[in-house]
Amino acid sequence: MSFYLRRVAFYLVTFWAAISLNFLLPRLLPGDPAAIMLGKLRRASGGRPLSEETIQAITSILGAGKDMSLWDQYLAYWGRLLQGDLGVSSTRYPAQVADLIAGALPWTIILVGVATVISFALGIIVGAWVGWRRGTWLDHLVPITTVFQSIPYFWLALVLVAVFSVQLGIFPIVGGYDVFEFPGGPELSWAFIGSAIYHAILPAITIVLSSVGGWLLGMRNMMVSTMSEDYVVTAEAKGLTPRRVRTKYASRNAAIPSLAGFGIALGFVVAGSIVMEQVFSYPGIGKLMIQAVQGLDYALMQGVFLVITLTVLAANFFMDLIYGFIDPRVRHNG
Amino acid sequence: MTRTKRSFAVALAAGAAAIALGMTGCSPSAGGDDDSSVLRVWAGSATPINNNFNPFAVDTAVHATFGAIYEPLFFFNQLSSEPPVGLIGDTYEYSEDGKTLTVTIKPDQKWSDGEDLTAEDVAFTFGYGSNKTEQFVSAEATDDTTVVLTYTEPQFTSAPLTLGTTYIIPEHIWADIDDYIGETNPEPVGSGPYVLSSFSDAAYTVEANDNFRDGAPAVKEVQYVGLDSNQSSQDLLTTGKIDWVGQFIANPDAVTGKGDITTLNLQQDPTTITTCANADLGCTGAQTDPAVRQAINVAIDRATIQEKAFAGLAGESSPTFMLLPRDEQWLSDPSLTTSPQEANVAEAGKILEAAGYAKDSDGFYGKDGTAIEIDLFSPDGWTDYNDAAKLISEQAAEAGIRINARTVSDAEYWTPIQNGDFQMALFGLTQSLVADPYSNYHEFFAGTSTVKVGESPLVGQNYSRYTNPAVDEAVLAAGATQDVATKQAAYATIQTEIARDLPYIPVVLNASQSFFNTKKFTGWPTEDDLYAAPLPYLAVANAVVLTNLTPTK
Repeated sequence: MSFYLRRVAFYLVTFWAAISLNFLLPRLLPGDPAAIMLGKLRRASGGRPLSEETIQAITSILGAGKDMSLWDQYLAYWGRLLQGDLGVSSTRYPAQVADLIAGALPWTIILVGVATVISFALGIIVGAWVGWRRGTWLDHLVPITTVFQSIPYFWLALVLVAVFSVQLGIFPIVGGYDVFEFPGGPELSWAFIGSAIYHAILPAITIVLSSVGGWLLGMRNMMVSTMSEDYVVTAEAKGLTPRRVRTKYASRNAAIPSLAGFGIALGFVVAGSIVMEQVFSYPGIGKLMIQAVQGLDYALMQGVFLVITLTVLAANFFMDLIYGFIDPRVRHNG
Repeated sequence: MTRTKRSFAVALAAGAAAIALGMTGCSPSAGGDDDSSVLRVWAGSATPINNNFNPFAVDTAVHATFGAIYEPLFFFNQLSSEPPVGLIGDTYEYSEDGKTLTVTIKPDQKWSDGEDLTAEDVAFTFGYGSNKTEQFVSAEATDDTTVVLTYTEPQFTSAPLTLGTTYIIPEHIWADIDDYIGETNPEPVGSGPYVLSSFSDAAYTVEANDNFRDGAPAVKEVQYVGLDSNQSSQDLLTTGKIDWVGQFIANPDAVTGKGDITTLNLQQDPTTITTCANADLGCTGAQTDPAVRQAINVAIDRATIQEKAFAGLAGESSPTFMLLPRDEQWLSDPSLTTSPQEANVAEAGKILEAAGYAKDSDGFYGKDGTAIEIDLFSPDGWTDYNDAAKLISEQAAEAGIRINARTVSDAEYWTPIQNGDFQMALFGLTQSLVADPYSNYHEFFAGTSTVKVGESPLVGQNYSRYTNPAVDEAVLAAGATQDVATKQAAYATIQTEIARDLPYIPVVLNASQSFFNTKKFTGWPTEDDLYAAPLPYLAVANAVVLTNLTPTK
């Protein structure tokens, strides 16, 4: 039990540190981010005066409140954070950062999440199979999939769009759903869900294609080395069926290192796939991040980074727990 | 069959089913295309689209806000020298001294919610929020259709601003709104041809306004979509999913090949080598010497730049910074019609030698032992600009002038341009809205429009820091009169001065391409009838185009 307590405590501290860093970073940057953002807003609104409320919201989120000590600002920051107030976006003014993120998050999590899971599952299953049959024609799968991985992603995505969407017309070109069919935006109906799934297929395929090679290669190699382990040899010598040896003895142990990688990959799901979202005009988080960085939208940047940090932490925490569960050695040495 | 094999087969079948489901999901949308009366537009919005229809949010309001929903009094067609077209407004007249402007509006107009639109609303608009400029005194409705605007200074030159970009708002709604900057106005009530019907962060739709003064327009629905890349828009255009865009497509034949889509390429806004020209205001570098700028001006091969960097789509720009032939009546010297299109290395050398520069052993000019070395930057990813900068650097080197072309991120691009911390940048100026170059001269060349290096100009955009008393005096003189001869004389002075001093070295006239579906809709502007610029992102012009269209089915 103390293993889990220690892990929880560790993550709590990390969580606190991440949020505090998120508070400090904009304040450590050269220049005053609040002033930059106010300046941008003024320019954007043609030099017109800004409302008192806006100015206050921006300075308290970003900055340099004039009469506040850093400590008071820090407390205020936590106070707002706990109420879910992430401030106002300057590139999307006057939209709330929290609303923007809430709108983008489900798309990213579902699409990139499912694609990551598919890519992982495919890589592990096929990798195990290829490793088991090492030295046969199946080995050719390794260079084929790694070639897809080494092709620049945006190029792969553009080619697939050009062929399957523009030329053949099989898949839609952009968006998370058919905006022509559903002009009012997302709704809860089978037709909409169908449209969303249909729009997700090609982006998901591009992500899977470009990432499955890594899982497959790793799994195959682990499989090959696991199969020379004594316990596998013993199992074979005992006369167990090859299927049993493959699944219960070899694959299971060979998959453990990949699981750690999977945890990290899952955490980064929320960061989205920036290029994918750009190519497909997919309404996700990655795009918000790119817009925030390009537009020097500090509030949005902070919000996006915060969400990414938290999910990476959460995913790692989760994997830690699972890891402790499937590999008892971790519990004892951790 | 082993279990793994079997489950793999099951997975395959499931995958096939998913794709099949996708295909069936596709068929209703293909059926949806029969609804040919909906005009689909990409006006440049990126997703997620911000729900903001506030006519005071000039930069963040969505595209239909200006023109389609809210209208100014008059439409100034920036492609013609004809007088403006009345929208809400009917006629306008300046008083002798230019301080009073009397506007009459068309009778019997209604807001989209059915309330009457009267001169009271117009007067309210001019006295509301940021429309109230420093020089504004009062706006009074003297009867149902007449408004008298009074100012402390002559307003001859601000007609396009006052009458063409002040969006008239209904008093019965805006009288209760104090925070006109923070307002997002999700249910806009305007006077334009369209009203908002639905909104999502991926697309929004406007429908014909039955209360529109000329009757509801023929195109019943217009949908604006959000896209994140030009490539997506080009793909949607090619496959017939969208009907109208304004964007750069290097190879337009790929889109227009099928015959549904027509393109129009208009060249208006000059791309320049903007130089930090004025050492007195803090500019540093060899480009502060007019002789160096003059040498660069003749050393570059504009024809090659236009062909190689701008895909042959750009036009020839004039050192007078006027749009020709539109502004022809103000051209003082025909030799200033266009900048030289071919490089003249000998001439460049002559100019530099006359100014005391000499070639060093490497063949580059310099003075007092220091070679000329100028930094020229452009935003990374603006490929036409990046290529042009590279060509300029090579061409200048031929003439013995060292120019280092480099690219910077968007964020690093705008800041130095505004605060003057640069030597040379490729930068696009915007053209005046009317057939009178006054706003160009006032914005980019007048001393009142600039500040010291390190600060950003609050009024105007004289990023070159150019100051010249002769120009300043002429700008003042031109602004205070309606007399054509006086103006012509003032402009002649300005044109001679700026064509000699070259604080901005013209490169090309930037292309703006528009693409539209002529099979589904007729009535688009043509080369011969440019009643409005067919660019979906241009305020007001886009609405004028929309009201001129008719669906073919």
